[in-house]
Amino acid sequence: MGIDALLGGFADAITPVNLLFALLGVVLGTAVGVLPGIGPAMTVALLLPATYVLEPTAALIMFAGIYYGGMYGGSTTSILLNTPGESSSIMTALEGNKMAKAGRGSAALATAAIGSFVAGTIATLLLALVAPTVVDLAIGITAADYFALAVIAFVAVATVLGSSPLRGLASLCLGLYLGLVGTDVITGQERFTLGIPQLSDGIDVVVVAVALFAVGESLFVASRLRKGAVQVIDHKGSWMTKEDFRRSWKPWLRGTAFGFPFGALPAGGAEIPTFLSYATERKLTTHPEDFGKGAIEGVAGPEAANNAAAAGVLVPLLTLGLPTSATAAIILAAFQGYGIQPGPTLLTTEGPLVWALIASLFIGNVMLLVLNLPLVGVWVKLLTIPRPYLYAGILVFASLGSFAVNADPLDLVILMVLGVLGFVMRRYGWPVAPAVIGLILGPIAENNLRRALAISDGDLSVLVDTWFSRIVLLLALVALVGPFVLRLVQGRRATPEEVQRDGHLEHRDDESVVTSGKDQ
Amino acid sequence: MSTRLEEPTTTQRTTGELVLAVLLAALGVYLLVDAGAIAVPGSTNTLGPRFFPYLVGGLTVATGAFLALRVLRGDRAPSDDSEDVDPDAPTDWRAVAVIAVAFLAHALLINVIGWPLAVALMFAAVAWALGAVGIVRPFLIGLAVGCIAWIVFVKALDVALPGGTVLEFVTSWF
Repeated sequence: MGIDALLGGFADAITPVNLLFALLGVVLGTAVGVLPGIGPAMTVALLLPATYVLEPTAALIMFAGIYYGGMYGGSTTSILLNTPGESSSIMTALEGNKMAKAGRGSAALATAAIGSFVAGTIATLLLALVAPTVVDLAIGITAADYFALAVIAFVAVATVLGSSPLRGLASLCLGLYLGLVGTDVITGQERFTLGIPQLSDGIDVVVVAVALFAVGESLFVASRLRKGAVQVIDHKGSWMTKEDFRRSWKPWLRGTAFGFPFGALPAGGAEIPTFLSYATERKLTTHPEDFGKGAIEGVAGPEAANNAAAAGVLVPLLTLGLPTSATAAIILAAFQGYGIQPGPTLLTTEGPLVWALIASLFIGNVMLLVLNLPLVGVWVKLLTIPRPYLYAGILVFASLGSFAVNADPLDLVILMVLGVLGFVMRRYGWPVAPAVIGLILGPIAENNLRRALAISDGDLSVLVDTWFSRIVLLLALVALVGPFVLRLVQGRRATPEEVQRDGHLEHRDDESVVTSGKDQ
Repeated sequence: MSTRLEEPTTTQRTTGELVLAVLLAALGVYLLVDAGAIAVPGSTNTLGPRFFPYLVGGLTVATGAFLALRVLRGDRAPSDDSEDVDPDAPTDWRAVAVIAVAFLAHALLINVIGWPLAVALMFAAVAWALGAVGIVRPFLIGLAVGCIAWIVFVKALDVALPGGTVLEFVTSWF
């Protein structure tokens, strides 16, 4: 069934309109990936109002293009600026930046782009192969099972992804609270609306996501703007040599092998696989003397892992309706905007849409390779946009996206209030992504919990009635308690610089604060 | 690689983190208290609209309290990296305040002078707060961005966005 359906998907995705939206998506995605201060999550959030005018296939193809494009663009920034914003790009920056400084920037960008393409294509293929199987397994899933899955996604996003589990949980709590504001869908009662009529519809996802990502980030950057002209390292120099290819292809494949499973797990994310990939390449390399001075393996592996993880995240999203990254959560909101509830039935009820989406990912990957190999100079120009204009522009589009939802200035006031919240969170090291996932997944978790308990007449034991939910909840418990226990036993998790120095992951005993990578 | 063991403003930062954790716990208390005030229709048989808020409230209180405890015992937030952030710079509260006020002002002006002009003024104020040279150039750039975005989103995508008298008149023919 898989191959035929995928071919059907290609037929849908290759229509001129859908190709155009795929191209628009990958161009936008690369641009926002390159630009500091905005990322794919915020861009998709800003474009959510487009779901009112576009048909679902075109809009979702565009969003998927933005998602993939953001991963490609992020590598350009981290190689040429040495100030990575996204945690998943940090490992790429370690060696990539050294390569760029040594005049090998061109080769670093090329191995990142080709590695992203290889990993993206293999991982998308795996997604197409795995998705129907997961759906078959998930079709008998009960409301209680689904609640258990939501719980593990919450726990994973909050505790595994960030470097401080407790602050991740704090951020998740904020998101769950924001998700509660509004009218309870089952009984129609207003909750936490403070008597403000506009809040009875709930706080819009667009407003929350844009506020936390765009406005909060802009305020945070404004509070500590790096003064002076933007320093971009020259990306000239020789392209990848035969030797570079010989040293890159294995890391590409190994990175893919790390990235996809981690992304596909409900405890997904790109941070851990890029860490692992870097540490592995460092161990296996035949050129250990290059590590720390610009080893191409250290760029090829993590970058492949990063992209494979991005594709892996789509597995729980498309088969279970479970978002495990901020961008995935907002794509889920786009599905909901069309009245489509992603879940085990998605592939059967919306088969053509999903397969067109997957096919468009293959096409998008090819487009991205073309956009990123010869045209990299264009993207580098974006890096030099004067920062005052960049952040002013980000706020203009934040205003546009949020105002477009309801045409109500009050939304912009809420946007600023939540933006200040995002600023405070950034300032004190609370990750923002758990809040967005809590906001979107919270109401889904509540509905499933109440459905499960309605069936059982309020008997809480229904939550651990199946083996599936028992195992998942147990894993969630381990993921929740594990980091705290590990911290007690072994101290803090190693920072990327320590991995670079030592070549392996280990925990540190002291609690001192180490700030990273500012050696200019 | 420079390794800094102490931030210059450590005590200030600790206070901030502590306040944030306490505020989170306070939010949790609010959730628990206010959840009790949610009306429960008589027809609700098992789990009403209060259960999940109680759950979230409890989790929030526990997280806030635990976080406050950890901060008191010396746990620091990881330093947050961003491409354009200078971690050693002192906090520029003036820029933050100017941006917040400019944004709120533009929110109120949208329905009066139209979105493109309102965002142009905001753009100029934000760029000025972030250290752009001059004020006319940022305003003109902001106006260009605003007008182009307005034309694309309103004319091509049918988004409802007040354009202001002039722009709506000029573009009324298409």
